Amino acid sequence: MLFEVYKNFNPRLRVFYLIFAILFLVLSTGLFYRQVILWPTYREQEKKQNQRRILVPGPRGNIYDREGQLLVGNRPRFSAVVYLSELRPEFRRKYIELVRAARSSNLKIDRNELQVEARSAVVQKYLDRVNQILGRNDQVDRNEVERHFRQNLLLPKALVKDLELDDFAQLIEQVPVNSPIQIHTESARYYPYGSSAAHILGFVGTTFEVPAEGVPGDDLTTVTFKGKTGRTGLERQFDEHLQGTSGGEIWVVDPSGFQYQLARQQLPAKGNDLSITIDIDLQLATEEALGENKGALAALNVKTGEVLALASKPDFDLNSLSPYIPNQVYRSINERGAWLNRAIAGLYPPGSSFKIVMATAGLLSGSIDLDTVYECRGSLQVGNRSFPCNNHRDRGEMSFKRAIMKSCNVYFQNVGLRTGVDQINRTARLFGLHQPTGIELPNETGRMIVPNPEYKEKRQHGAWTAGDTANIAIGQGYLLVTPLQMATFMASFARRETRTRTTLLYDATIDPRRIQHGGSKIDLPEDLYNGIVEGMEMAVSGRDRGLLTGSARLAHIPGIRVAGKTGTAQTQVHGDKLTMAWFICFAPIDDPQIAIATVVESTDPEYLYGGGSHAAPVAKKVLQTYFQKNNATTGDLATR
Amino acid sequence: MARKIPHAARPIVYLLGISVAWLLLPVVFKSFARTGFYEFQAPVWLTAAGLKNVSQSLGLMAHSKEELYEAGRDLARLNSAYELKLQEIDSLRKELSRMEKILVLPPAPRFDYKIARVVRRDQSSWWQQMVIQKGRWHGIPEGAAVVYSGGVVGRVSEVHTYTSVIELVTSPNFRMAAQFDNDERPVTYQGAVNLPFTNPRGRVMNVPPDVVLTASAPRRLASSRLGGVFPDGLTIGWVNRLTTSPDGLFQSGQPRLNKELLSLREVAVLVPIKAVGDR
Repeated sequence: MLFEVYKNFNPRLRVFYLIFAILFLVLSTGLFYRQVILWPTYREQEKKQNQRRILVPGPRGNIYDREGQLLVGNRPRFSAVVYLSELRPEFRRKYIELVRAARSSNLKIDRNELQVEARSAVVQKYLDRVNQILGRNDQVDRNEVERHFRQNLLLPKALVKDLELDDFAQLIEQVPVNSPIQIHTESARYYPYGSSAAHILGFVGTTFEVPAEGVPGDDLTTVTFKGKTGRTGLERQFDEHLQGTSGGEIWVVDPSGFQYQLARQQLPAKGNDLSITIDIDLQLATEEALGENKGALAALNVKTGEVLALASKPDFDLNSLSPYIPNQVYRSINERGAWLNRAIAGLYPPGSSFKIVMATAGLLSGSIDLDTVYECRGSLQVGNRSFPCNNHRDRGEMSFKRAIMKSCNVYFQNVGLRTGVDQINRTARLFGLHQPTGIELPNETGRMIVPNPEYKEKRQHGAWTAGDTANIAIGQGYLLVTPLQMATFMASFARRETRTRTTLLYDATIDPRRIQHGGSKIDLPEDLYNGIVEGMEMAVSGRDRGLLTGSARLAHIPGIRVAGKTGTAQTQVHGDKLTMAWFICFAPIDDPQIAIATVVESTDPEYLYGGGSHAAPVAKKVLQTYFQKNNATTGDLATR
Repeated sequence: MARKIPHAARPIVYLLGISVAWLLLPVVFKSFARTGFYEFQAPVWLTAAGLKNVSQSLGLMAHSKEELYEAGRDLARLNSAYELKLQEIDSLRKELSRMEKILVLPPAPRFDYKIARVVRRDQSSWWQQMVIQKGRWHGIPEGAAVVYSGGVVGRVSEVHTYTSVIELVTSPNFRMAAQFDNDERPVTYQGAVNLPFTNPRGRVMNVPPDVVLTASAPRRLASSRLGGVFPDGLTIGWVNRLTTSPDGLFQSGQPRLNKELLSLREVAVLVPIKAVGDR
């Protein structure tokens, strides 16, 4: 009997085995490719999809004065906040409640609308709790809650911003630790001296452009807390130096975007501090001396060129601009013209204070010497124009030093006419009056004018005349300078040099003898230079029959030898003829330490200001404060 | 035919069954059960505390007459010293109200004191709580400040009929406004995880960067009235080191708390006068 033998293996099936093997290999290779080769790519995609980065800007560095007094710091700004992600279950419960209520009232159910309503109600519930503790009655803005939910889900939603310290204390104590209500802390700029040095220090504005260097998660979707950027003054000039190092948080989020796990955190760090040359005591004295006047004052260390005080009035309280500038405050500052830093951006004709440049020009050119005498009859006729001299009542022959003491216009106009405009122009440029000082502040004007015939022709004002020279000789005409430039000139002149490198950056280790100011020695013999200085001293302390009679006598301080020069410039502002009172000085004469230039603007055409009556007393107060503090001279330093 | 549950697995099955049933029970029932359980437990704690007191008195009775006379004399001295203090306080109160009138200030918040015995302590690292022998029946409100002669003890977190639970100052769930001596700016004090047999410590945060202290000159951290719960000046602890945060905005440190906190037998609950009136 033949039995059919069943073969377990059929050779015809080999081809199918082969096909299956190939297919299996393809699948295995595909799996390997997906799981092993593409693993990093998928991981990256998953990370991007599931993770979010929050950038937290670091607080800015502090600014200190030369003695380490804090001028700009950071204050904490507390807010009561809720994290919407923590309220998610409550949103859901409230939504269900609202849906049920709508159903029971047979109302049409708009699910989207009810969700918005639910979120708003839940946030209001927590705001009510805060209201109850703080005795407030705030209401949530529904649209704001929704906007926050849509756009900034990862950031805390503020319930009450800018908490006072007692509010902060109450919330800390009365809100449970594990409540969704949290106290969020940001930093805001803080100015212990309010409006003092407002134009130098500057202020900050908010920005979303927060530096992210060093914070991991560059490729992730990022949300940012508002940062700060310098808008004016040192805050702007040294923005990068002061800027804090940002920190960051990387959160794992669910498909709806709610954060549920902190994956990584890097704390923000404070920016670098800055020490500046300002002496806050002197600055305060300066601002007090200027009072409610419009004007400016610059005080420099003669040897180092360090700015000791730089004031501009009117000013503004920097604290009113932090953490943001309210519209009302902005308008008020605008109307008062207080944004302008008059010390570096205010352009004024220097008036008679320019006569020191004039005297130097005359002596340098040899057109005059210390014995040159001109007769003053109260006016000088140049061409068809008569220039009055109302600065003094002396009539008759006027000597060089006495002309400085009395600020005689006729004398210096004669000197100007003899010296010539080119030499005057050269001397003014020698002292750098044609260019900005280069101080480390933004917005220093570059529009100062030291005119010459080419300047006048270029602007199609016609040919240069002798009258123009006579005008420039007394610091009028087209001549325009800033108070800081005149202070720089005074500091240079006090050192018998032509330039001073002004600076606001304080370096305690610097040796004044090694500072390169960039100019040269004034090429005047000792006796001629001393002649000018003596004239300046006579302006402050000169006496006739025992009485102080110099034009700057109100700057006289017993026991301190001050060399000064007043100036009263006329200018037109919006059609009104106004006067600008100037005073420039340095002291003590034997070992010059401080140089000052101040200008006080008159605001009423009916009321004329004078350098001797309005600017010299301001400088006197600053000098008194300086010498009282530094105890730098011998003799009587009384505040008389 | 249903299979029988193996004998060994029964406890687990019953436990799972009860757990599931508990989970499915309505919240109201669970809350009622919890409160009821607590109220049933309270007499046990009170009795235990009473027995402990009795045992202590019996122990005291073993002292000789001379020792008791001596203790009586000490007590009399203490009482007279306290009498004097009370008179001082009375005159200070009058002075205070006179100054308030002159300066037209609102009166400072005043408190009624409720002295209560401690009946139970739970000072594990998780639960820093204690139970006192007074509750709703005695006018103890939730959230009231609890103090002792050495300073802050904590805050009433739960009030039951005859007992109250105090969240201790050492608990991580306790937070209050504080201030350093001679500095009225509020800082944040919060309890920390305190391991058994260690000195109690907390955390002080939001300290302004200009607050200076050193190990040789530690500063007292005291309560601040600004928080609205505690009066000014009750000692929380002593801080001898502060660390500045990287952002430079604040400093933080670990105040050393009083060791007596771990062995208190009696505390005072500060009940705001208004709250008593409202009752």
